[in-house]
Amino acid sequence: MRHLRSRCLPFLLLLPACAFGRQDVNEPIDAMTVRAFVPGQTTAREVVERLGAPTDVVQLGKRTAYRYEGSTQKSTVLFLLLINFGNQDMRSDRVWVFFDEHDVLTHCGASFGTHRTQYALPWEDVHEGEDHASRDAGRPGAAR
Amino acid sequence: MKARSWWPLLLALGGCVTGSYEHVVVDEPVAATGLAALQPGTDTLATCLHRLGAPNRVFEYRATADGRAGMALLWSWRHAAGWGIDVSSGDDSVPGSVSFDALATELPACMLWFGPDLVLERWRAGTVGDLLPGRRRPVLLGE
Repeated sequence: MRHLRSRCLPFLLLLPACAFGRQDVNEPIDAMTVRAFVPGQTTAREVVERLGAPTDVVQLGKRTAYRYEGSTQKSTVLFLLLINFGNQDMRSDRVWVFFDEHDVLTHCGASFGTHRTQYALPWEDVHEGEDHASRDAGRPGAAR
Repeated sequence: MKARSWWPLLLALGGCVTGSYEHVVVDEPVAATGLAALQPGTDTLATCLHRLGAPNRVFEYRATADGRAGMALLWSWRHAAGWGIDVSSGDDSVPGSVSFDALATELPACMLWFGPDLVLERWRAGTVGDLLPGRRRPVLLGE
């Protein structure tokens, strides 16, 4: 019993030293909605009706571009006495839609990453291809 | 002095001086092979968006008086790990907390420039600070 106690004590001391945090900015963007946009047909009005107000609008001569963005950040910290170990993993869903002077969609660029965010310790690899593939499989339309 | 007697001091020190090892990931890096495969004069905005996904920022580029303009697209990311140290002090002559962060370096980035016809003119990899259009300090009217 005494032996067991001496072994468990270090783990018990570490338990209150862990912290997990999550921060979301905006809602994740619906990938299937974005994939349904058709260059040459979809209008700026239809994009706004489906995705809501853009985060940013950029004027490009007579053209315009709208940016839609949402992000998720997961943080893990291990507090030790004199040294802390921390990991922050932040990914974004980001969509740029480009319109001509008649507000008709010409181009669309999309990246979906919020579902790939992980809680991890700083020495773990959070860019593993297999891991990404399994997470992408659970989110239709997210993979390029 | 016995080594054991230093322990309380070391434990108390943790409240004032803390070392840290941090790993920060922001978005996913654009692969160097993907960039190297781009062909100025051939690739278009559509093919580049398909290969690289959505950029972080879009800028107007080479605007002309007739309303035509090209565009510059910037992708940036961060994937860094490093040590840092935080020092807290109750002395009025120094700030309450001083920190050194070895991760606070420029973000890696790449930028693609497209002409008004939306054909790729050139691309460059570097840091965000190198690639962004230069900032100008505001000046007072009449100067």
